[in-house]
Amino acid sequence: MIARFFLAVVLALVMVFVGISTYLYLGSRQSRVATPAEKPTASAPRPQAFVLPGTLYLTQAGAIYSLNAGRFHQLTPEAGWGQPSLYPDGSHLIAIRNGGYWSDVWVLNLFGKLDRMVVANQGSTGMANPSANHWSFYPRLSADGQTLWMTYDGLKCQDCYDLSPAVYAMPFGGTIRQARAWTDGGYYSGGDQQPIPVSGGVIYTKYSFGPDTKLVGQLWFTSRPGAYGRALTDPAEDCRTPSFSPGGTEIAMVCTYEKQVSYLTIASWDGSRLGPRQNIITNQLVAQPTWAPDGSGIAYLAPGVGAGPFQLWWLPKAAYAPPPPSPSPSPTPGGPHNGPLPSPSPPPPAPPVKPIQVTTNNGFDATSPMAWLG
Amino acid sequence: MSSVAGGLAYFIPAAQLAIESTGQVTRVTPSPSALFSPSPSGSPAASAAPITDAFTVLLLGSDDDSKFSSDHVLTQSMILVRVVPSTKQVTMLSIPRDLYVHLSTGGYGKIDGAYSYGGAGAAIATVAQDFNVHIDDYIWIGLLGLVKLIDAIGGINVVTSNPVLDDYYPSDLYSNWPYDYERVAVLGGPQHLDGVHAMQYVRSRHGDLQSDIGRSQRQQQVLIAIRQKAKQLSPEDLPAISQALGGELKTSIGLSKVAQLLPLAASFDNIDAINQIILANPYTHGCGCPQTYLTPNWGLILPLVHEYFP
Repeated sequence: MIARFFLAVVLALVMVFVGISTYLYLGSRQSRVATPAEKPTASAPRPQAFVLPGTLYLTQAGAIYSLNAGRFHQLTPEAGWGQPSLYPDGSHLIAIRNGGYWSDVWVLNLFGKLDRMVVANQGSTGMANPSANHWSFYPRLSADGQTLWMTYDGLKCQDCYDLSPAVYAMPFGGTIRQARAWTDGGYYSGGDQQPIPVSGGVIYTKYSFGPDTKLVGQLWFTSRPGAYGRALTDPAEDCRTPSFSPGGTEIAMVCTYEKQVSYLTIASWDGSRLGPRQNIITNQLVAQPTWAPDGSGIAYLAPGVGAGPFQLWWLPKAAYAPPPPSPSPSPTPGGPHNGPLPSPSPPPPAPPVKPIQVTTNNGFDATSPMAWLG
Repeated sequence: MSSVAGGLAYFIPAAQLAIESTGQVTRVTPSPSALFSPSPSGSPAASAAPITDAFTVLLLGSDDDSKFSSDHVLTQSMILVRVVPSTKQVTMLSIPRDLYVHLSTGGYGKIDGAYSYGGAGAAIATVAQDFNVHIDDYIWIGLLGLVKLIDAIGGINVVTSNPVLDDYYPSDLYSNWPYDYERVAVLGGPQHLDGVHAMQYVRSRHGDLQSDIGRSQRQQQVLIAIRQKAKQLSPEDLPAISQALGGELKTSIGLSKVAQLLPLAASFDNIDAINQIILANPYTHGCGCPQTYLTPNWGLILPLVHEYFP
């Protein structure tokens, strides 16, 4: 009797164990698509981390991180920080802080310590008057460090909803009242974004309606405030986010051809117009290509696997500018040769250089440009 | 047997959603003739065999916040989707919410009102009779449902065609006052969007010159992104997704058909095989009247619909 009782208890326990095990096993087979992104500092230094030259500044979840010698460092708290750019002398960072309904421009030192606020955009009446709040995006200093360029929604129209931000320039150290609109931001288009001051003007991404009435991005150049400027890319190419090579002779950008794709595209730049496009990566959703200061390659953001969050990738220069083929070895003088001479065969082609995935479990902000200090 | 019990316990949330939300029987009042014949969920005829015949689904999206009484909501988003498994072709046709049409429940009005008068059946019947299409199934999702769905699948990757900035975006999802508004800014370019930001991207219209038409284009982009992400899902993800969606999704598609659709969705890989149709000018045009009606140009719309939804 007692033996049967124990047998029943054991069987019951086995059944509970098997049931729970099945439940846990099924749970373990989830795809984990909703697993939150890891903080870049979570397991640094990673033994497999790829070491990039210099220091790269990038953004995740409202915090700015630096990547140096394979290690990530968190510079700011997760509090709306993003879009870092560097002083021309590399001594400080400029970045925005998104307050939810507005965004300010700040100067930080290279370790994330706040230096000062450059542009304050919070309206005094809160959301009682939404138009009193403003957005500043993509702040960047001119080469001489005297002018702050940014995208700014300072041209809000009265009695309409148009909110297309324009490219503004203001004296660095001045006030927003001294800011001057260089472009008009278009009309209900998304505006003019991500300005890069260049010799003789500014290059930026202009969003406007293409011939097929779809909104598209174009690289645009304007030489003076109020000028209409001119397009550098075709509407059908739908290009955006320009980044200059260290020598200023090439531009990397992403082009989407009005589809849910994003190619890494390179073109030469002669100071006036872009050369033929070269689509370097066409099988990834590429964002924010950024040239290494030493010209050794291009870093960019793209999903790691499938449709996951954006990771950091590195494309060595050899992938888009392969070295010229080495000359075939000349015959070595020597003694008499027995047998037939080997027929000269071309050297085997070099294997194609592929992008290298630097991070795996992070979730970098693909709308935030990266800054790179050499 | 205990293993089966463990499995059943694991899939309880999915089963609950299946019971509550799938296989919805639609009652069409008045009957729009035989244009709509929903496939009965779990019918004996349903089999696990792969779907080979083309089918059409009407996707409905609603502002179901506290401004509206439940089940008397407007369907601000109406998208007809036709899937042809044999050629792996997908066609999405966005129907403008302001389209002035003959409603299946009688009279004329904006097409987004059909659902509020007679539920999914009336919405389906209205689309079926006006566009002369056969609709096999429908899926309705509420605002919060879309947010939760996208969060449950870990966010989506979208190439936002343009920055979307809006000073008067409705702040009705989590606010106590459903008529509140807020400022939003979704920047342009490829990016990973969570549910809230994806919702901002597809719902904002104040900063878009094409208003609802522009919004329809963005909605199609997000649908493509959701489909892309769905390819990574496994059946074991269903309970978590079901739990997240509770009450925010209704569909006439039965469980057996869902099981058939999952591998089908994964097999569609060519983004160029997705036709995206927006009924902008000259297919529709504003009437110039005080209300924001859009007048359909049926002479152009019907041949287009017939071509893609034969």
